[in-house]
Parts: sequence; C-alpha cells; structure tokens
Amino acid sequence: MPSPVSDRAVQDTIIRALADAPFRGSPEWRLQELANQDRVDRFARFLARHFYHERLVHFFKYSRALARTTGRAPEAILTNPGFAALFPTLVLGSRASAVAVARLVVDHVRSGATAEIPYMEELLSYEQAMMVVESGARVWSDGAPDVTKRKNQWSTPMRVEGTMLLDLTYDLPVVLPRLLQPWTEVPQPPREPTRLLIARSSHGRVSVARTTTSIATLFELADGRKSLEDLAREAGLRPAELEATLAGLVDLGAVRFSVGS
Amino acid sequence: MAQLMVGAFYNPHLGPQLAEATTIDHLAMADPPRADDPCWPRIKARYKLLLHDYLGQLSEPLDERAIERARSLAELYRTPWVAEHFQCLHTEDGTYNLNYVFPPLYTEEFLERFVTNANALKARIDQPLVMENIPGFFDVTASRIPEAEWLRRFFERTDVGFLLDLPHVWLEAHYHGADPIAFLAEFPLERVVEVHVAGVEQDRDLQGPWIAPAAPADAMLEFMVHAVARCPQAKAVTFDAVSPSLSADVLLSSVERIRKALGN
Repeated sequence: MPSPVSDRAVQDTIIRALADAPFRGSPEWRLQELANQDRVDRFARFLARHFYHERLVHFFKYSRALARTTGRAPEAILTNPGFAALFPTLVLGSRASAVAVARLVVDHVRSGATAEIPYMEELLSYEQAMMVVESGARVWSDGAPDVTKRKNQWSTPMRVEGTMLLDLTYDLPVVLPRLLQPWTEVPQPPREPTRLLIARSSHGRVSVARTTTSIATLFELADGRKSLEDLAREAGLRPAELEATLAGLVDLGAVRFSVGS
Repeated sequence: MAQLMVGAFYNPHLGPQLAEATTIDHLAMADPPRADDPCWPRIKARYKLLLHDYLGQLSEPLDERAIERARSLAELYRTPWVAEHFQCLHTEDGTYNLNYVFPPLYTEEFLERFVTNANALKARIDQPLVMENIPGFFDVTASRIPEAEWLRRFFERTDVGFLLDLPHVWLEAHYHGADPIAFLAEFPLERVVEVHVAGVEQDRDLQGPWIAPAAPADAMLEFMVHAVARCPQAKAVTFDAVSPSLSADVLLSSVERIRKALGN
C-alpha cells in the first residue's frame, strides 16, 4: 500500500510545476490533475517573466544605466520572441536557465551602440557572471546548528560549485558606482588588469571581491581533498595567512569545509 | 472607529517626494533601507513605519536568523505591528522558488503548520503580528477548506491580526466568477487591523487582471469603503504599490483619493 502523501509534499509538487517547465509538461504532473492546466501554464509564464525581470533589473543595472547610450534596455528581452522560445525549457532558479536568459541579454545589449563603451564586453561578462552565480538552490532555513560540522570545520576546504573567477583588463569596480550616478559623458574605468571572485552564500547573497594571486591560487587548489598543510605548502602561505584567507573565502561563500574523516 | 491612518509603501526612488509629502500618515517598508539612501533619515524621522518585509514562510518555523532579522527591523522602524503573508512559495528543500507570493493549500495540515509557526513567531516579537491574504490564480483540487473559513480558524487559534488585501479578494472573486461583495462577506473582517488597496491591470500572460503598481479604479475605492465600514478594528489603509515604475503622481494622488473616499 503506498504511503499517504503529505499536503506539504503536494504543495511542493505544485510549486515545482510552476517553476519547472519540463516537469509541468510531463505525464508525472499532468496525470495528477491537481489544477486546471491552462491556468497553471498561464500563471507559470507570468511567474517566469516576473522572476527574470527582477534579476535583470538587479544584475544588469549597469547596462541599464548605459541604455541611453546603447539604446538597449536589458529587460526588453522579456517581451522578445527569444524569451518566449525559452518558456518550454525554463526552470526558475536553475543555472542552465540563468545562463540562457543572461545570454539573451548579452546578445541584445551587445547589438546596441557600444562604441563609446570600450569596456562593454567586460561589463556584460561581469553582469552575466553575477546572475549565473546567484542561481541554484539555496538554504531557506538554518535549522539547528550542526555541532559535528563545526568541530571539524577546519578539515578539508572545498570550492563552492558555481563560484567564478573573472579576469578583466579594466578595473570595473571603480566605474560601477559612477554609472549609477547622473553623468553626461560615459564614465570610463582605468585600464588595469583586475581579477574578481564572484560567489554566493548558501542563503543566496552574491558577493564580489578583488582577488590577489594568492587568494585565487588557494581558491583553485581547494578541491575538498587537500589538507590545510597541503594548501599552505602549495599556495606558499604561512598558517596565519592561510587561516585569514580561508576565513575570507568562507565569508564570501566561495569555499566551504567538508567534514573530515 | 478611531481615525484611520492612510498611507503608502516606501518606494526609495520617490524618496525626495515622500520626504516632502504632507498627506501621508504612514509608510509600509517592503525592504530594509539601503545604506546609501539619502532620504532615509528624513523618512524615518517623518513617518510612522510599518514592517512589511518578507520574513519567511510560516508553513515552516522561522529560524533564529529570520527571527532576529524581524526583531531588528521592527526595532529600526518602531513598527506598531509586524506583517507576514499566508504564503508558501518555495519547496521545503529549497530547490524550487517562485519568488512571488503564492498561497498554501487550505487544508488541516497547513492550518496546523501556520497556527504553530505563527504562534511561535508571535511569542518572539514585541509587536502584534498581522497576516495578509494571498490570491490564487487557479484552484487546487487538494485544497479542502474554503479560504475564508481557513483564515477564520487560523485567527481564532492565534489571535493574530488580519491584514486584508482588497485587490487580492477582488481578484479571487473575479477568477471564481463571484460577486466581490458577497465573496468578501465570508472573510473574518472583525479581525482586520490594516487594509491594502491598489489598482489591477490586464496582464498579457494571465490574459486577465492582476495586481499592478497602478492607481485604484473608482470601483476598487467603492469596494474599500464598503469593506472598511465592516472592519471595526481597522487602524490603517495602505496604498499597496512598490515598483521602480511607480510615479510620485500616481502614489500621491492615490493616497489622496483613498483619503477622500474614506471621508478622512
């Protein structure tokens, strides 16, 4: 005899149907006949447009500020056929959908008048990275503290999946706040090699940090298998430097600690 | 009934106009103020502020982090009450998230969940809790209890206040082919502390009306007058619109029209 399904599980099924287009089209969902399919489809399209509108306005705000020069507002893609064509595959919050929607924006903005903005390509890479890093399941509740993990937390540091390192030829962080202020001539950043680390906390907060070579090296070495001693040796860091750097990476959400055996 | 406060939501892009406005009694806060918001000090000094943020969905218990955030915002705003929604918008494991208000199933299990978790939250905050109704665009066969009855039973077991969102009721009535006045009569209006009023507009995806950052139509204002007359404990009416596309003119004129309709 099958075990009874809780109402909470049914609610989860409905939420998934609204968020996950392939599931919404599957027999697994349709055969349950939980709701009028036409209404569900319409509400799902509404939710998808709302979901990505919020993200485009937030993550592409610098391109949006430049729209009076480029003639391309990022959120305009939400009413284009390209976005409608994604509907059957969109899964709200998934990385693949974030990549697909961000790509539409990048192509749209790139096709505008960008001659006065030599750093436009890098700006779009930055904004695209922010949006993609933000995607993915998140922790909604901390629950009870896990004493076991805390005790072992300095065992084996591991890169958090989805964290990105971005190498730029312009110092973008210098110009970003100026783009959001009133301007007459397009603000320009200094041409200076800049490396940024973009990470997301488990609760969904996206952070950006300038990154030195030693931080980037440590981040790339943190594969969840190397001990602290291995990392210190390979990254050429003293124990105190290693601890401070790791603490910074953990705060950023770029590195977490797996429980050591 | 005591004199009703008439207010709106704080829209940071309208900060300069709101800081100067003289016809608004209160501002509801949907998000914490940005650290670089130049108008915030004046807004905070000038207005009674209502906490109306997303604290968490009460289908699950709020964790310590969420409770501390609620307490901290309540203290910052000196809010007379703390608002949350009857919503369940992300899956229990966090994999799927609608990022938009969505009602729970109206069942005994969800009633128990919301009663338990609202009582737990109420015990941890220093201000009264009020809960807002959320519209459904479609019916779910697994919902077993009429929404109004479910809400009535919730309020009886929690003694929480009711934040009555009138456009939400109007939309539900519309999509059920019901008369909004008759639909409203089923709700526990004696529990209402605050009323939300806003406009609705045609939505291309829904192929019908939905909540919009727009001025309320005259019919909505008439609906409000009808409702408020039946809410003896109501203390505030709020123009419910938060959007970068909202203009100062729409916000200020909507508050003015609400005030005039109420004879306030």
